[in-house]
This record gives sequence, structure tokens and C-alpha cells, in this order.
Amino acid sequence: MYRYDEFDATFVSERVDQFRDQVARRVKGDLTEEQFRPLRLMNGLYLQLHAYMLRVAVPYGTLNSKQMHKLAYIADKFDRGYGHFTTRQNIQYNWPKLPDVPDILEHLAEVEMHAIQTSGNCIRNVTADQWSGVAADEVEDPRPYAELMRQWSSLHPEFSFLPRKFKIAVTGDKADRAAIAYHDIGLRLKKNAAGEVGFEIFVGGGMGRTPMIAARVRDWLPKSELLGYLEAVMRVYNLNGRRDNKYKARIKILVHELGAEEFTRQVEEEYARLDAPQGLPSDQELERIAAYFAPPAYEDLAENDAVHTQHLVDNKDFAEWVERNVAPHKITGYAIVNISLKPVGGVPGDATSGQMHAIADMAEKMSLDEIRVTHEQNLVLPNVRKHDLFAVWQELKEHKLADANLGLATDIISCPGLDYCGLATARSIPISQDISIRLGDIKRQRDIGDLKIKISGCINACGHHHAGHIGILGLEKRGVEYYQITLGGSGDETASIGQIIGPGFSSETVTDAVETIVDTYMDLRKSGETFLEAYRRVGAEPFKEAVYATH
Amino acid sequence: MAKKISGPRILTANLLGDGLVVFLGKDGSWAPSLESAWLAHSNDDLEQLEALGGEAARSNTIVDPYLVEVEDTGSTLLPVEMRERMRARGPSVNLEFNSKSNGHALVADQAVAG
Repeated sequence: MYRYDEFDATFVSERVDQFRDQVARRVKGDLTEEQFRPLRLMNGLYLQLHAYMLRVAVPYGTLNSKQMHKLAYIADKFDRGYGHFTTRQNIQYNWPKLPDVPDILEHLAEVEMHAIQTSGNCIRNVTADQWSGVAADEVEDPRPYAELMRQWSSLHPEFSFLPRKFKIAVTGDKADRAAIAYHDIGLRLKKNAAGEVGFEIFVGGGMGRTPMIAARVRDWLPKSELLGYLEAVMRVYNLNGRRDNKYKARIKILVHELGAEEFTRQVEEEYARLDAPQGLPSDQELERIAAYFAPPAYEDLAENDAVHTQHLVDNKDFAEWVERNVAPHKITGYAIVNISLKPVGGVPGDATSGQMHAIADMAEKMSLDEIRVTHEQNLVLPNVRKHDLFAVWQELKEHKLADANLGLATDIISCPGLDYCGLATARSIPISQDISIRLGDIKRQRDIGDLKIKISGCINACGHHHAGHIGILGLEKRGVEYYQITLGGSGDETASIGQIIGPGFSSETVTDAVETIVDTYMDLRKSGETFLEAYRRVGAEPFKEAVYATH
Repeated sequence: MAKKISGPRILTANLLGDGLVVFLGKDGSWAPSLESAWLAHSNDDLEQLEALGGEAARSNTIVDPYLVEVEDTGSTLLPVEMRERMRARGPSVNLEFNSKSNGHALVADQAVAG
């Protein structure tokens, strides 16, 4: 894992001191709210529907046990004993008090964390594939480059006042678990014909009121040229982005208005003009950062573990959990454990302080001290010996974290919605809970198979509904919540935008509509066909007919 | 005579320290419950509420005061917009952490006279 150098530590510590002074001046009245608002937002502090909300960055979703213990400690000492993991691999606290926030930031700085650039029109926390560095099929671990981008983009004077917020995601695998096509910039490490590893670069994806799939602007870029090329992209955006209209200010609109070809031409032209495009970063700097992500001390293990195999035979529940929640690891004898934060009827992405402590303990003892946060609001223990899987499962069960539903109908993404968010137009969490309870029978879920349901409480789409196989968007009309359904979205390597199927549903009927859609799929699917495959084969009509005939 | 407005309104804000939701009461204090909120029926009332809100904001008691249209059923006040009903009611989920009594106890501890 990356460790702060002296510069990082000083910079974060100084920022805490600055914010402590700013809060003191605000409380005293020396700063008005208008003056203070941009300062608190630069430190991740929002004023939401019911209270302040602090968004803490988890760079590329990687944590160690000490950091997770600290997040739990903050939840207990300064909040209400829980935190919410978000679709940008961050954690949000819903109830911090303003005078406590400098202390919270100081605690975070102690474990090399902060809340800088989790808000505002800047480059936000760079997200990454949660299986980076351990996925069996990965080309290369993308996290050193994510860290490089974190350093490059932190307080970058040229990119601190962009037309709008800017999100970058990176993956090192052909399978896209980071939804790169839905980001302002999506990066994928891949090999060229000569077998050299470089970046495939996508620009202009996004959710929100105008969902778009990113355009490929470079098929392959040498790794050493990454920052130079990104700088060219950012400059074209900074110069031409629509600052006149907030709703048209994201880079996706620029790419769309110029056309991908013309946008790419301008980027290449800018790139050619840069002073020393290939000098950033130096090989030494890349190596220095990459060294922090060197593989941990793996043991030399056999492919199969007799004890683990016996547990699979003896315990059906364990075997089903392994089948859904455990993934192949690139190192023989190890496995990737995915921890569902989606108990049936629970709040997607929430974890109590007790659960966080427990996960931290498990990571320390049985995952070589690593934890990952996923954009699907789950957690990962990336380095578990197969031999330890049963023990991990038992521990998870004890803490109500052993739901064997990864990628199934109840593994729902949901934004906080109108239960917490000041921008929301409708509640999303209660709808996710209703659906989760309705489809919660595990046998039924397994029968349905892979299904991604995603719910947003407003058009900003923090719940990624555009990328849901079944997407739900909460809106309001004359004081009443209603829900629009989209079908056929996907955030993976076959990314697509879900299409609205028709008029919306009330909060009382939307779960029935989702169940009808699922039942319709079950009736029409061919053998082995997933929901998304079936939808792509038959289109929306059979689903529309079923839903609007019965509701 | 004071001019009537389309519907009665109350003044709401967030406390500066906690950020928690409060309403301006009939006695001029800020409280977490809208039940005892000061109900404005005319433009003169509105002006008075807004003046008090501005004063409280300037004295750093509360943040971002604004008026909310409510329906007065006789026994209760119900904000017209869904968003405002949620603000008044508190989250409908995570009740083990976010119960109204919990939130309101926190607010009550720090409620400040306007």
C-alpha cells in the first residue's frame, strides 16, 4: 500500500490546521456562511438534508486494517455508530458536528487519509477495480497509476476550478468492474501487439441527467505518457467546457458536441504542443510509487486445500457463499473474498462501527492487512488463503456480513436518496429494502441469477440507475414520490444505458413492477441466459407488456 | 390590512453547530419540531419571519434560513413538498441510529433562543 512521504504528511496536516482555523472563524462569526461554504466543501463537508455530512476519500478503494479501525472509531466517537460506503469508493458520515470536524480530519491524517477533493469542481478521488493487484486475469495492477494521478491531481492549480466535477476510473483487467465507460476519463491497462502494457483511454462517459458512454480516444498509450496525455485532455476541457451552463458543463457534453473525432483531434494537437509530454512521470518516480504496491508476502501454497474442500462438502451454506462471494486469486492457494453490505432488507453500503472493526481484524489476521471498497457498495478482503475461508465466513456470519448474494437481485446499489441527501427528489433506500425483501429468498435469487438493480433518488444518478439491468429513478410530482424504471443498462465492459420503459410507478407499486419484470425474464429466458442477455435478445416489449398489463 | 399569501409558511434552517434541522417557534426560539412553529399567514408575517431568520443567521445561530409552505390541518402542520416533509420528519431508515428522539435530543441540547 502507498505510504505518505514527508510532503504528503505535511500537506495533509497543514490542511487540517487551516480548516481548524476556518471552522473557528466561522463559529465565531468572522466568516459568513457564504464565505465558509466553499472552504468546507473543499474539505468534503456538506450540509445535507438533516445535518452535516462528511465524505472521506478512500483512494482507489484501498484500505488497511488500521485505517478501517479509524473509520469505525470516528463513526463511534463523532457520529452515530455507522458509515455509508458510496459508489465512488468513499465513506460518508451522516451526522458530524461542525466543531468536531477538524478533530475528525486530524484522526484521519494520523492514518494517512483525508476528505480533500471529495467535493467541488476538481478531479475527485480516483477509483479503481476493487480486485486490482489480485484478479486472476489482470494485465497489471492499476493502483500505482491511480496513486500517481492522485498526487498529480491533488491541489493541481490548473485543475482546481474546472467547469464541473471530474471523475477518473481505472482498471487493469479486460472485465470492467470499475464502470470506466461511465466516467469522465476511463483507463484500461492493456497490451499492444508487441506485448507492451499501456493505457486504452476513454473520455466523456457519465451518468446524471444526460447519461453517456465514453468514447475511446486512444487505443494504446505508453504508460510513461499517461500524465502528459491526461493533461492534454484536461486542457481541452478546461478551455472549451461549457462554463455557461451547469447542466452542460461536464466533459461528456463537450465530447458529444464536438464529436469524438474532433475532440480527439484537439487532444492530440494539445498533447503534441506540451513542453515535455513524455517527461511526466519519470521512470524513477513510477518505480518509487509502484514499489509501494509490490505484492505482499504470499505463502507458497498448493492450489487445493484439503480442509477447505472438506468444508465445501460438509456445509451447503458455506459452499453457496463461496460460489457467489469468493473469486479466483492470481496467487495459487489464495482467494478474493467479497463481503456483501447488502443484507436482505438492509441499507445498501452501510456498515456499523462494530462491523468495521470486525472486518479490520479479519483483514489483519487473514487478508495480509488489506481491504477494498467497491463501487457497488461492498467490501473485499483481497488476500485470503483458501485454508482460512471457512474461518472468515464464520466471522462474517457472526457480524451479519455473510450474505451470499454478490451480483444477485438483492445486491442493490442505492444512493442515500431523500432520507439523507439535500438534492434528492425521492427516497431510494426504502425502495431498495422493499425489493430486497420481496426477492430476498436466497433460492429464488440464485435461480434468477446475475441481476444488477440500481436505484437513484434523483436525476443526478449517484445510484447508477442508468447502468442497472433494472434501473430505478425516484422523482417527485406534487408532493408525491414516483419511480421511473429503465431496463438494459450495464456498467461493465459491454456498457449500455438503460432505456425508460414507460410511465412511472408509485412507491407502493414499484416493487410489484420490478417483480413482474423479473418473473417475465424467468418465463422467457433460454437456458443459461442472464437477465441482461435475455433483455438484449428480446428488447423491452415483453417486459413493458407484462408490467403495464398488470399495474 | 396585511395581504394574504397563497398558503401558510414557516421558517426553517439548520443549526450552525450540529447542522440539525430547526424551525422558528412562536416564542422566537429555534426548535426541532415544527408543531410549535410560527405560522405566517400574510406578507407582513413573512417579512417578520425573514427578518428574524436573517438576524439569527448573522448572529451565527443558524444557517440558510428559508420559508416552507405548509398545510395546517388544525391538529398538525404538514409541509407541502416531499423534501420538506422529510426534513421535518427525519430519515425513514436506519431508525436504530436515527430515531427522531435521538436527533431531537441532540438538537434540544443545543437549541438556542432566537
